[in-house]
Amino acid sequence: MLARSAQGIYWMGRYLERTECLCRLMQIQTEALVDRPARDIYVGWRRLYGVLRRIPPGGILDIADSDDFTLADSYTLAGDLTFERSNPDSVWNCFAQGRENARQTRHCISVEMWQRLNLAYLRLRDMDIEDIWSLPEGFYLEMAAETDGVDGAAQATMYRDEGWSFLRLGGFIERAQFATALLLQQLAIDAESDGYAEEDWVSLLEASHALEVYNRRYGAAIHPQAALDLLVTDPLLPGSLGRSFNQISQELARLGTGPGTDSGRAAGRLTGRMLSLLQNEWPDSRERETLLRRVLDEASNLHFMISEAYFDYPLNVRAG
Amino acid sequence: MNFDSYTLDSGTYDEMLLPDGSPRAHSQRLYETLLSLSPERLGSVQEGVARSFLHEGIFFTVYGDDEAQERVIPVDCVPRVLSAPEWASLDAGLSQRLRALNRFIDDVYNGAHAIADGVIPEDLVIGCPNYRPEMLGYSPPEGVWVAICGTDLLRTHEGFFVLEDNLRSPSGVSYMIATRNAVKAGLRRLYRASHVREVEHYGNLLQQTLRELGPGGKSDPTIALMTPGVYNAAFYEHMFLAQEIGAELVEGRDLLTRDGFVYMRTTSGLRRVDVIYRRVDDLFLDPFAFRPDSMLGVPGLLDACKRGNVTLVNSPGVGVADDKSVYPYVPDMIRYYLGEEPVLGNVETYLCRRPADLQYTLDNLDKLVVKRVGESGGYGMLIGPHATPQERDAYAEQLRANPADFVSQPVLTFSRAPCLVDGELEPRHVDLRPFVLQGRETRIVPGAFCRVALRRGSLVVNSSQGGGGKDVWVLEE
Repeated sequence: MLARSAQGIYWMGRYLERTECLCRLMQIQTEALVDRPARDIYVGWRRLYGVLRRIPPGGILDIADSDDFTLADSYTLAGDLTFERSNPDSVWNCFAQGRENARQTRHCISVEMWQRLNLAYLRLRDMDIEDIWSLPEGFYLEMAAETDGVDGAAQATMYRDEGWSFLRLGGFIERAQFATALLLQQLAIDAESDGYAEEDWVSLLEASHALEVYNRRYGAAIHPQAALDLLVTDPLLPGSLGRSFNQISQELARLGTGPGTDSGRAAGRLTGRMLSLLQNEWPDSRERETLLRRVLDEASNLHFMISEAYFDYPLNVRAG
Repeated sequence: MNFDSYTLDSGTYDEMLLPDGSPRAHSQRLYETLLSLSPERLGSVQEGVARSFLHEGIFFTVYGDDEAQERVIPVDCVPRVLSAPEWASLDAGLSQRLRALNRFIDDVYNGAHAIADGVIPEDLVIGCPNYRPEMLGYSPPEGVWVAICGTDLLRTHEGFFVLEDNLRSPSGVSYMIATRNAVKAGLRRLYRASHVREVEHYGNLLQQTLRELGPGGKSDPTIALMTPGVYNAAFYEHMFLAQEIGAELVEGRDLLTRDGFVYMRTTSGLRRVDVIYRRVDDLFLDPFAFRPDSMLGVPGLLDACKRGNVTLVNSPGVGVADDKSVYPYVPDMIRYYLGEEPVLGNVETYLCRRPADLQYTLDNLDKLVVKRVGESGGYGMLIGPHATPQERDAYAEQLRANPADFVSQPVLTFSRAPCLVDGELEPRHVDLRPFVLQGRETRIVPGAFCRVALRRGSLVVNSSQGGGGKDVWVLEE
């Protein structure tokens, strides 16, 4: 497969995954506007901006003095994170970038995937925050469903060649990075308040599609360490770090080391180390935040190794 | 529907109706179907066609003053019907023309016998901006310089005329197929009953053609389609064709040359490329050979081509044969190279480089269409009868300053066909662009992209200037 096409599909996977993750968080965040106290709403915004490493409009996030201000602030913040064209990580930009990558590689993906993406993009293209604010959570739910729909179309229709592997690689690397950053944000918030708020962890589990599983396994009471264990190591949970790295490992094995052989091997070894860390070091570790920071850094390194192994490898390779 | 607001003009050929208002025999079924449909029903077909293009993301790009805009090409849902004998004649004429043009180009770069024999003036060929001396002595596989051609045809009461031979990067074939898919879905019963010849196998024919042109007769060549990139107006078509022929869609930055061979960068390493269907203009193909500032090209590509290690389709230098100044000589080329009389005629053309033709053009500016030889897409053109006196005066100045840059032609009132406009059937001018493939043999899909001048009274069919498209139904025998 042409390296640039593979790279386009990889980025499509990343952008669509980021869209989905953002929409899940935004859905929960805007649902909270209905009945949660200002503190919870503030924590939600802080978590979102922290994950994206973005400075919110106005500089800092303060708990507003009144509900009116909370809602007004939330309108601005939701607009910034959803439709702001100058924010590269807004839902709008992530989805548009995913669609643009699909447009450039549509000869490598299935017709069904392209049509779903294009139709959703045409609906989203001219929207703004005013258009969704009467029922914002409904919009985010729909957008998340749109990206799930593209994923479903890919599962059902995409040829299982290298393109498929790169799509999944992009998606799982994004998922691992996003989930790790989210956990780190929550741990930082807990550390600052010298304790934890159950609601924060409930919303985090909800955003990770893990609340029901958690309740079944541990009961209704929230124990952050148990929630962390679930979100980090559970091999059956679609959003867990362990599952993401496991999938990354499988796709790398399918692809082989690539023409940038050294980087390809390094990516394989690094993924193995991450899996070992999550399976062996994590359960007994007292330095979980440190481990998560390592995971975040290594996920970023993994991205560069994949780029060097398959897309931007040195040209001194043997011609075939 | 009815034809109440459909006005026939005795001077203009109508594709559907005879001068007395009755339908032509091959359009009878379409005519009756239109009469039986309510305006709402035909309107919904029209909407379905537009929706299909939108959903598929079939865009072309228009470059304005501010920024590029993605636009859906407007497609009219009423097909244009051609009878089997009409098509047979076109098929023969198009095939003949491309054979002669290939012979001419080969001659230009290998001996120039036609020049020596006085068939075409030397200065016209050598002075043509698309003449490439770098190609002197080159012989492409199978002698095929032009493998893909899109010929623009017009029809008048006197028959079909060739308006232009597009030999460099003819586009529109993807629209032909997309239009067919959308229109036949909307008019399915009519389509089924009409016994229309298919066009969907164009991709197979193109692939077959390209496979026959592998360097050194290589039997299973690796084919790539080279695009200038996603911002090119025809990017959708490039992507579509790459998918149709199962080729990688490459840009210059994906390719490199090594020891005179061309490779593309894949996820498995460098892979040799044998045939490149390039949709990049000559001058941008190779910064070593042509424009040194080209960011779209591949250094060393022309050298690889001339060494016979890669086939570029169409070959660099073919533009010498579709130049507007060379066009008037094509009928003579057919006689000279093939010893045959041209099946398809040319539109009478005045070369302003000739003093007498320049004077005639200046004297009759209000009756002529004047074109710049180096322009395409309907740009840089003056339609005399539609221009203001000030516009004609300004154009005359340009003509006098650089007469060799212009040709002129009489304004042809080319044919019209019914189109759905604001819920009514109205006549609009149409042209026809069939696509001809030349490998070891000539292949033509029985169909074409029909361009429509959607503005009332307009003769400009270019999509960048308010034109649209129409499906063409070639009927079986």
